[in-house]
Amino acid sequence: MTRHEILSTALGAIALAASTWQPHPATAATTGATAPASLTGPGPQDTAPTATPIKHLVIIFNENVSLDHYFATYPSATNPPGEPAFTAAPGTPKIDNLVTANLLTNNPNFTNPANGADAAEPFRLDRTQANTADQNHAYTAEQQAYDGGKADLFPKFTGKGTPGGVGAFGTKGQVMGYFDGNTVGAMWQYAQHFALSDNAYTDTYGPSTPGALEVVSGQTNGMRIVQTTKKPSTLANVSYYISDGQQGWTMINDVDPGYDTCSIPTDQAMMQGRNIGDLLNAGGITWGGFMGGFNLSVTNANGTKGCSRSTYSQIVGAKIVDYIPHHDWFQYYQSTANPTHARPSSLQAIGYSFESDGKTADPANHEYGLRDFYNAVKAGNFPAVSYIKMPAYQDGHAGYSDPLDEQMGNTVLVNFLEQQPDWSSTAIIITWDDSDGWYDHRFARTTNPSFDAQADQLDGPGKCSSGTPLAGVNGKPVNGRCGPGTRIPFLVISPWVKANSVSHDQISQASVVRFIEDNWLHGARLGGGSFDATAGSIMSMFDFTSGGHTPPLYVDPTTGTPVARPPASN
Amino acid sequence: MLIVAIAGMWLAAAAAGAGLPPALPGQAGANAMLAEGLNPHPVHLVRPPVEPLSAMAELGRRVFFDPSLSSSGRMSCASCHSPANHYGPPGNLPVMLGGPTLSRQGVRAVPSLMYLERQPNFSVGPDDETNETVTLTQMAAVGQDAARTQKTALDTAQTAANLVPQGGLFWDGRTDTLQDQALFPLLSPFEMDGGSVNRVASRLRHAPYASLFVQLFGASVFDSPRMAVAEALFAVARYQIENPSFHPYTSKYDFWLEGKARLTPTELRGYELFNDPKKADCGGCHLDQPTADGLPPLFTDHQFEALGVPRNTALSINRDPAYFDLGICGPFRTDMRTETQYCGLFGTPTLRNVATRQVFFHNGVYHSLQQVMDFYNFRDTDPGKIYPRDAEGTVVKANDIPARYRTNLDTTDPPFDRKLGETPAMSAQDEQDIIAFLKTLTDGFEQREKY
Repeated sequence: MTRHEILSTALGAIALAASTWQPHPATAATTGATAPASLTGPGPQDTAPTATPIKHLVIIFNENVSLDHYFATYPSATNPPGEPAFTAAPGTPKIDNLVTANLLTNNPNFTNPANGADAAEPFRLDRTQANTADQNHAYTAEQQAYDGGKADLFPKFTGKGTPGGVGAFGTKGQVMGYFDGNTVGAMWQYAQHFALSDNAYTDTYGPSTPGALEVVSGQTNGMRIVQTTKKPSTLANVSYYISDGQQGWTMINDVDPGYDTCSIPTDQAMMQGRNIGDLLNAGGITWGGFMGGFNLSVTNANGTKGCSRSTYSQIVGAKIVDYIPHHDWFQYYQSTANPTHARPSSLQAIGYSFESDGKTADPANHEYGLRDFYNAVKAGNFPAVSYIKMPAYQDGHAGYSDPLDEQMGNTVLVNFLEQQPDWSSTAIIITWDDSDGWYDHRFARTTNPSFDAQADQLDGPGKCSSGTPLAGVNGKPVNGRCGPGTRIPFLVISPWVKANSVSHDQISQASVVRFIEDNWLHGARLGGGSFDATAGSIMSMFDFTSGGHTPPLYVDPTTGTPVARPPASN
Repeated sequence: MLIVAIAGMWLAAAAAGAGLPPALPGQAGANAMLAEGLNPHPVHLVRPPVEPLSAMAELGRRVFFDPSLSSSGRMSCASCHSPANHYGPPGNLPVMLGGPTLSRQGVRAVPSLMYLERQPNFSVGPDDETNETVTLTQMAAVGQDAARTQKTALDTAQTAANLVPQGGLFWDGRTDTLQDQALFPLLSPFEMDGGSVNRVASRLRHAPYASLFVQLFGASVFDSPRMAVAEALFAVARYQIENPSFHPYTSKYDFWLEGKARLTPTELRGYELFNDPKKADCGGCHLDQPTADGLPPLFTDHQFEALGVPRNTALSINRDPAYFDLGICGPFRTDMRTETQYCGLFGTPTLRNVATRQVFFHNGVYHSLQQVMDFYNFRDTDPGKIYPRDAEGTVVKANDIPARYRTNLDTTDPPFDRKLGETPAMSAQDEQDIIAFLKTLTDGFEQREKY
């Protein structure tokens, strides 16, 4: 039993009073590709016209890291004795981080007295401190930390979090901590062999679920309450939604998806509007969301099963549940949901809407377990677009995961993909859902204002910038999407990227949606208030005219250092 | 009968996925192996990884053994958490002496620092690592009304419904991380008496190992005393995490679990009594089976209990009749003072290496396992053997808990479900057998025989 369930028993009466259960909606794609009867011959991912040589896009969506948290001193690492060393390749470009911004000392988060006893300079987190406390990363707290763009109130507003495991490092002002290449070695290696953006942001402030929605739909307006015990968020009582000012709701913090077998029963929400899965279905393009722990029919080695599948992390020192419902992007949209976690009808049906008879909707409806991705690719069924979420202990979220477990999950997958026959037409995006509240010095000028009296605090009470909010799902200006939010790392790994390059073009999570639309869908846009229409392009990270020759880089999953020979395939 | 009971227990454990033995012997074969003192269903135990100490842990080792951080100049972490005594107290004093002249008495018995690498954070009710919204206060509020189910050695799972406090460090669970834990004895005026954070940082700056700080944290590390001390104490925590002597899992019982050691008939009898809900039922809280992940048992469920051990008149602080150590609700822990349903509750410690301790329970009232066993045996059936009498000659049960909180006493988990005058759970021989079993939990067992 989880805490959620205990509380839900206790609070059940309140929940029933607040709203009533709705019938389970039918969930199946009405459009989309039909699976082949066998896996011989090219699939639609091979034949579908694309604007670039990329035929396979894999998005590894990790958890809770700001750019400065991982890249504050890139490409210079401390290299203490006994730790995997990192040495920058000649010609490695500088990025906008705490070194180049000269913010390692006399940082405003140390000098601003409003931070009180928590004021701190940025400091290095050692490899032995990989297991850290989690910080506060709520929509409102992050706005307060950015303090009208001065980015000087992180210790005061986001520096409070859960403690982490018994061996975790924690200190006042810990929100100012950063790792270097001795801990996040693989990410630094990918940066200096492939392409890194130092100007990528979440589309709005806030935690996991808003980030998950933005990377598939480009926005967070149009939330529909399925079940709730909460009132709209206020400064005193933070919750996951606010009024959008147009008789609708905007999601600003985490809530489980409606009807998911694994969701807590008392608080669930769904989203209106479309996501990129809808457009891919309309275009007959294969795609899938692949999440560790999603397949409920598997029993883990430790005997756990169903929604309780879990894995023990030696680094965190605890057993962590694999599947976290409030990270499941596509589950919030009726058209792309798989609330019962139904299994695909066959290996060759993975990525497809319909079984090979062309009529029967595949039960999985594009939502699968992580192992399904490995198995499908190995069998020659590599979908055009694949969103990947590691099992929770490997997703990088401080408090229950950590950079070393994250590195393990990410490198095993990248090493695997680099050895596939389709590598020459593959691009991997590694990015994060939110910043966790970790300090980052760079503020992006607000392009979407919001004026909720309680939730918006960036420029004072009830104020996030000025002007008129962009239109939401119903075409009218809506509150609750103050952004861009926090700066996050954004890496692209592909033979087609410019090796050891840094892009300074401003992008966001919705830029992932835009790339898919531009590559496969002739530049179609989602509409309904999605930021795909205004998000920057990631095209400058590639060289599609004379490129295609950036060599693969195999990385040791434990040390994060390059290895000459490709490791054994997973 | 005894043999069959244990064999059945191990069949269940093996089936739970703790690592299937190469060949499951039938019931007859299992009995034959048990008769030989062998575990018929050996498991593979996953011990913590052993690697060379990191630079951080090496720094932590230096800090752990440094007496210059104390006001007396003679007390280090290792003085009370003695490596030669399984990181517990080195003698039989109920509490240790500290302060500037090492003459101030402490207030609680020193817990061992061993086997804390998997200690969960303090929580009320089963924890959920991914939960970002439910607070401790909310859980405690639910716990106020929750009914409590009985916990026995053969069915510990049902306590999942109990909203009991669990986890954390110290007898009252008031810190979650080893780093935070280490600060308290360092600054406590009756322990190391290190003064202030600034004072400690200054001593670290002049320590012979100060260069290790600079190497790891940069030249500016001492500019912020708070940061320097945080790093030093994290280093101590890291030493505890990395140094295998804090969690070796090398007891005779561990090797028996793995099929590499024989228990004597007395030890086996003690083991069965340990797990028998009609007898001692120790296993109800001191869990003795590997986890589903193959991790060795920790001999604690990390939960808190109000056992009501007698007041220890050897503690000078107890001369004040108004003073009570209430564990979770104070006086050292300050965030749960109003949660009076938890007054008198203290954390359940591991039983690993318990036979080498000379001080037991939070107030150090007992000095032998015999006394401890008698407490469990007679607290309810013959309390006159345990507690003093008041002026009217009435036995004052649970006399170290104020009368208004005595309803918090555990009276449901065997053997505490017995009534005055009923037959005690254990015979004198039973107690001896259980103690024999507890001695198999001491680390450093040398395998002399080949199995």
